[in-house]
Amino acid sequence: MSSTSVYPTPINAFKQSKRSVLSVIVDNEPGILARIVGLFSGRGYNIEALNVTVVDIKNNLSRITIETLGEEKVISQIIAQLEKLVPVHSATNLANLSESYEAEICLVKIEFDNNEQDQKILNFADIYRSRTVQKRQNIVVYEISGTSERINKFLDDLNTIGGIKVELVRSGPIGLGI
Amino acid sequence: MDNENEFTGADILLKALKDQEVDTIFGYPGGAVLPIYDAIFGQNFLKHVLVRQEAGAVHAAEGYARSSGKVGVLLVTSGPGVTNVVTGLTDALMDSIPIVCISGQVPSHLIGTDAFQECDTTGITRPCTKHNYLVKDVSKLSETIHEAFKIASSGRPGPVLIDIPKDVQFAKSKYIPKKDISFREHRIKAGSKNVDKNFVQELVNHIKKSERPIFYVGGGCLNSGPQASQELIKLVNKTNIPITTTLHGLGCFPGEDKSSLGMLGMHGNYEANLAMNKCDLMINVGARFDDRVTGRLDAFSPDSVKFHIDIDQSSINKNVKVDFHTNTDITMTLKEINSFIESNNIELEKKDYTNWWGQINDWRKKECLHYEQGEEIIKPQHAISRLYDLTTQKDTFITTEVGQHQMWAAQYYKFSKPNRWITSGGLGTMGFGMPAAVGAQMANPDSLVIDIAGEASFLMNIQEIATAVQYKLPIKIFILNNEYMGMVRQWQELLHGSRYSESYVDALPDFKKLAESFNAVGVRAKNISELDDAINEMVSIDRPVIADIWVDKKENCFPMIPSGAAHHEMLLSKYDKENPENQEKGKVLV
Repeated sequence: MSSTSVYPTPINAFKQSKRSVLSVIVDNEPGILARIVGLFSGRGYNIEALNVTVVDIKNNLSRITIETLGEEKVISQIIAQLEKLVPVHSATNLANLSESYEAEICLVKIEFDNNEQDQKILNFADIYRSRTVQKRQNIVVYEISGTSERINKFLDDLNTIGGIKVELVRSGPIGLGI
Repeated sequence: MDNENEFTGADILLKALKDQEVDTIFGYPGGAVLPIYDAIFGQNFLKHVLVRQEAGAVHAAEGYARSSGKVGVLLVTSGPGVTNVVTGLTDALMDSIPIVCISGQVPSHLIGTDAFQECDTTGITRPCTKHNYLVKDVSKLSETIHEAFKIASSGRPGPVLIDIPKDVQFAKSKYIPKKDISFREHRIKAGSKNVDKNFVQELVNHIKKSERPIFYVGGGCLNSGPQASQELIKLVNKTNIPITTTLHGLGCFPGEDKSSLGMLGMHGNYEANLAMNKCDLMINVGARFDDRVTGRLDAFSPDSVKFHIDIDQSSINKNVKVDFHTNTDITMTLKEINSFIESNNIELEKKDYTNWWGQINDWRKKECLHYEQGEEIIKPQHAISRLYDLTTQKDTFITTEVGQHQMWAAQYYKFSKPNRWITSGGLGTMGFGMPAAVGAQMANPDSLVIDIAGEASFLMNIQEIATAVQYKLPIKIFILNNEYMGMVRQWQELLHGSRYSESYVDALPDFKKLAESFNAVGVRAKNISELDDAINEMVSIDRPVIADIWVDKKENCFPMIPSGAAHHEMLLSKYDKENPENQEKGKVLV
């Protein structure tokens, strides 16, 4: 859609829809989350995951992490729109930083029937170094953290075990520039 | 703990308004703002203008702001009072008009209980304001009001709403004056403080190299203040570069100047759109590449290097990718460009741009605004031309409603100064013009304020004629009466096989009698021989006047870039045929 220019535009920069993690520092005040969520829905952007918590009590700041999908042009526009909101201090695309660290936490409850399943579950839990939160006779709850990709893989592996029941909750990614 | 240094929330509001040098407020009372109305009763610095419906208050505040350069202020009650201003707030947001809306709210302890006249005001107005507040603690009230005014008027201006529960209006606290408030910078969004020297240098280098440059100027130039316009005129005169403006840019540069190509866009001038299409250097000064301006994006000015000056970061690369941009104030930036050219004694060698101007003058020969005025029926274009000729010597402000008459006004009324042209561009709000005229007349009591209207738009906020009469505001409503929603009819003719579905305005009132019933004055022109007399009579009467001008019912607004077409695919008259492929694509656009 972008108009042509006599200056060449890198072809990939404006075409590919990709996953971005945005880190937004905001004044912790009523309505701020609604402002941000409303901006996304009103302008037709995606929210894949969202995480909000106060990170600086003294200065009353929250950090909001948003995972979104879009072309680079769209992501730049999202950042510009976020930075227009009055309580927003800054909005950063972690991918644009020279170095950043990302993590997510996931709690998985697994119900199983037999010993064979239990062994397989234990095996995967060990490979992915997940922490046992609770274990009962036929229920185990693990806590696993790391990149979203790593958690996805763990869950994919669990799904190869037949006959078990999995219930889970994920925090969505959080991230920090270093 | 009554303390003489403590004031009620209502009094704090009034003190803050005084501190902000507000002298006019548009409003409508109701249960949740009675304490504030009580405070207004006992003072005399603030003139309250009682509108007849809250929509009138918000458009009046917009007209006041646009015509004065100050922040427009309005006061409405909770529930329906504030939901009635949602359209106007959205209008002000789209067109970057600084207004502050004070709304009453049910008492704090009733919030969330579906109380009488309760609504989620901050929730409803969040997407249609630049910022909004619900003040739950009276001790925060002073600071909130001052921040609201600062935010409304800084950077890219816009509407700000402050919702004040009734108990907070009664509660007491200290008043903190404006001078004692230190604003937190990140909340003000005022753009970058320093001019980007690189940008200026690049721009001047490109101007030197360019063969076919053009200035594309928008409402941002207006919002930067009258000095921006002065700097722009200086720069255009120095460089001899042609200039076209958007609907909101009209008046930033004198419309009758030889360098002016007039308005561009959907109903813009042929020469302006062709010049945009063929230019090799585009200098965008505070315009936002709106779809009404660009036409089909993939064919928009394909061969130009694009520079963009805009205080709003999100306007950069939103619709059109630009090559160089700066987020600084326009006045500051233009000043720096002018002084850079002067201090470096830059000779603009191709200063004449002879070939470029030659081509533009060829396009001008098409006379895209030509119309044939017959012996009898008034052509709407002619009505505006005569209005211009007969009022051009006066100190005139023009407001409009939305539709064909608005485009004809933009095409045939020429503006030589900024802030004289007040129209609803982004949102396209029918019913805007008459209350906006009320606001403009409040801000400019000695000037001639004319609302160029269509009969359908005028009916949308007709109640405000009573406001004009009550406050002896001698606004003129100049109705181009064609008995149709003209622009709707035009699109139906061009895109929907002349099936005029619901666009005929049946059962119209007699506007002359209507004026009289409001204690205003009605005049009428039924044919060409009555036109000048009607205009002269309208202008000479020092009271609100409704002029009912009967115009050609079938006239269409040309030139026109149909939706989905490009600048060079303009239709010049009804005899031009549109590319059928574009027509199908255009039908689904707005």
